[in-house]
Amino acid sequence: MRSSTIGWLFLAPTLLILLVFGMLPFVYVLVIGFTDWNAFAAVATPHFNGVENYRRLVFDDQVLTALWLTLRFTIFAVVSELILGYFLAQLFMRDFPLKGLFRTLHTLPLMVAPIAVGATWRLLTVPGLGPLSYYLERWAGIEYRLNTYASQAFFTTVLMDLWHWTPLVTLTLLAGLSALPKDPFEQAQIDGANRFQIFWHITLPMLRPVILTTVFIRAMDALRTVDEVWMLTGGGPGAATRYIGLHIWRVVFPKTDYGYGAAMSLLTLYLTIVLCWLLYVALVARKRSGEDSR
Amino acid sequence: MQRRSIAWLAGLGSLLLAGTASAAGFWTDAAKPYAGTTIRGVSESTPPSNFVKDVLAPQFEEQTGIKVEFETTSWDQMYDKAIKDMEANTGIYDFVYIEQDIIYSYLSRDFLVDITKSLKDTPALASADFSPDKFTSFIDYFKDANGDLYGVPMEAFVKIYLYRKDLFGDPKAQEAFKAKYGYDLAPAKTHKEYQEIAEFFTQWGKDNGQELWGTTLQAHSGHPSSWYEFFESWGPTFGVYNWGINPDGWSATVAHGGSMNSDTAKAALTYWLGLLKYAPPEATASTWDEVAASFAAGRAAQGLVYGENAAWIAADDTKSGVVGKVGVALPPLAEGVQAAAESGKGYIGYYDGGAFGVPHSSKNKEAALLWLQFIGQESVQPDWAVAAPRITHTATYDDPKVQAMDAKIDGYYTLLRDSGKLFAGAPAYPFHAQVREATAPFFYQAITGELTPSDALDKMAEAAETELTNLGYRK
Repeated sequence: MRSSTIGWLFLAPTLLILLVFGMLPFVYVLVIGFTDWNAFAAVATPHFNGVENYRRLVFDDQVLTALWLTLRFTIFAVVSELILGYFLAQLFMRDFPLKGLFRTLHTLPLMVAPIAVGATWRLLTVPGLGPLSYYLERWAGIEYRLNTYASQAFFTTVLMDLWHWTPLVTLTLLAGLSALPKDPFEQAQIDGANRFQIFWHITLPMLRPVILTTVFIRAMDALRTVDEVWMLTGGGPGAATRYIGLHIWRVVFPKTDYGYGAAMSLLTLYLTIVLCWLLYVALVARKRSGEDSR
Repeated sequence: MQRRSIAWLAGLGSLLLAGTASAAGFWTDAAKPYAGTTIRGVSESTPPSNFVKDVLAPQFEEQTGIKVEFETTSWDQMYDKAIKDMEANTGIYDFVYIEQDIIYSYLSRDFLVDITKSLKDTPALASADFSPDKFTSFIDYFKDANGDLYGVPMEAFVKIYLYRKDLFGDPKAQEAFKAKYGYDLAPAKTHKEYQEIAEFFTQWGKDNGQELWGTTLQAHSGHPSSWYEFFESWGPTFGVYNWGINPDGWSATVAHGGSMNSDTAKAALTYWLGLLKYAPPEATASTWDEVAASFAAGRAAQGLVYGENAAWIAADDTKSGVVGKVGVALPPLAEGVQAAAESGKGYIGYYDGGAFGVPHSSKNKEAALLWLQFIGQESVQPDWAVAAPRITHTATYDDPKVQAMDAKIDGYYTLLRDSGKLFAGAPAYPFHAQVREATAPFFYQAITGELTPSDALDKMAEAAETELTNLGYRK
């Protein structure tokens, strides 16, 4: 048997799984996106309606608002996590008392299911009863009403995401920092570079692939966030935290508007790919072209 | 004489034993072909459902050998799971919870097994202890136009006006109230009284250093429960019925013959939102559960609360801080609403409840039909009604255990029996969740103040009509 045949045989189970659980559902969603199908419509069977769902999407204020909110949420959450995660990773590169314990505690949120994170934060922030809102009001005189004030709700969802996912960023950057060669840093020190110069000219460029991977992973996760926010605010107050994932969930499940929801999912997927591509161009491709032209 | 009495008692005892044995015998015999089967169900986690899970399911298993796996989860998840299962025809669930307002959607999609027909076609499965005639009229919501049954009611209750008897009866409060408003402090009969009582007790709480507010409100700013509170509980007390949708042409705007954005609806929403300043801070984060919890924690003087929670709030001191202090009454009403309800042209509030039905997708329909009849027996009802204040059978009202419980919850069961007819379930719309989802975002914006009540209702009425057009109901 030729080695390439054996190779394909080994690959076959994975390809089959990918086809059944990856490609087929995707094709199904693609097809449904071109139908008008609501489970409780007067005629509840799907029928082809061309690009009508996509035409509706472009003029749908709720979708556009949800997309804009999601983008804001993603930028705030991912940038904050990256900065905080970097500082924590640098901290863990050094030795200090109880480092092992601190690192374990810091990693714990990663192990909690998103729905439980949402529930925990909801208990913390229930207006008038949750410890956070109660003591903020009592001690600092801050009226913390998550279900009334849009900006408080928005930043609380960012904070919750920060609490949940910064450990992942820290661990990834820590792995990246640990793998960096020591020579360039020693050379830079001998040449008299200061901390910022070392960070800007050595650490950051060498860490770029790790940062890019981390940003991709976190951005994709943030763009499709649902469970935590659903549990914490339900998308409210009003539509202040109705991010696109949550909006799609409401359209597909409670509203059973499968056709429109499928189109919305595909649009979100497309925008996610475009966003990641733009990031890639900004962080890697431009750098490469700069190096090539030198 | 004594010997004759002993013989009579012995005879009666034998008859009762024989009756019990024959009842138990039916379940064992009828279930023989299905012994060892496992049936699965899903429901919202509520006191009545928890009684089914903890008490009735083990009894059924013991008598039939059919295992019941019963999942009690959140309201949203329950629908999510049940509808997906029935839509995809996967057959995960053998029985599902059908809330009164969703039955029309399920019937329109032919999701459910016709229980009447199934029992007629398979007489061996029909229990003599199960009779739809023994149920209250609430069972009618689960019948089709031919009178065939699609769900066996497992809970029925009204959304009731609860108030704190201790606060209302406090002589100092009574005196201060009369001095301020010029009439006696008593459960509100009108909206004006309700608002003034709410205002009074909010101030009373502040003055006395208590965490007490005038009213509970189910006003979550991102959960459909607030939408329901308005359209099913408060709207009708102003005379806004059937969500303001006119089935004649499926219109919602006043311009097209609906009343969702009518002056009455706008006055009702303005009033309801105005109550927010007398509600505890958690009101905008409260769904049906949190409203009950707020009241039970003693944080509100009055409120409209789902009847399923009345018993534990009034009588369970392991969960409630207001045991023995709870009074029940009918909701406050606008002029003319009571008369409209009595004449059958309107209703004063929400008659809620649900049933268990068997989906067509079930792979164990026969076993599930036995289970549904088991929970629908008259004999299991009194203990169930005591554990969770729901009554589905007329005879349950007269049971001594239920009457004892009635005294503890200030006559809630008596009120349910005598005035239940003034309340109504949700209108028979098959597009229930669809219209709610299309309009709710504007409603939430009214709660946060982003939209005025008038603008919100105008937008909601337009959105409802657009949705009804998209769904193909409105031409």
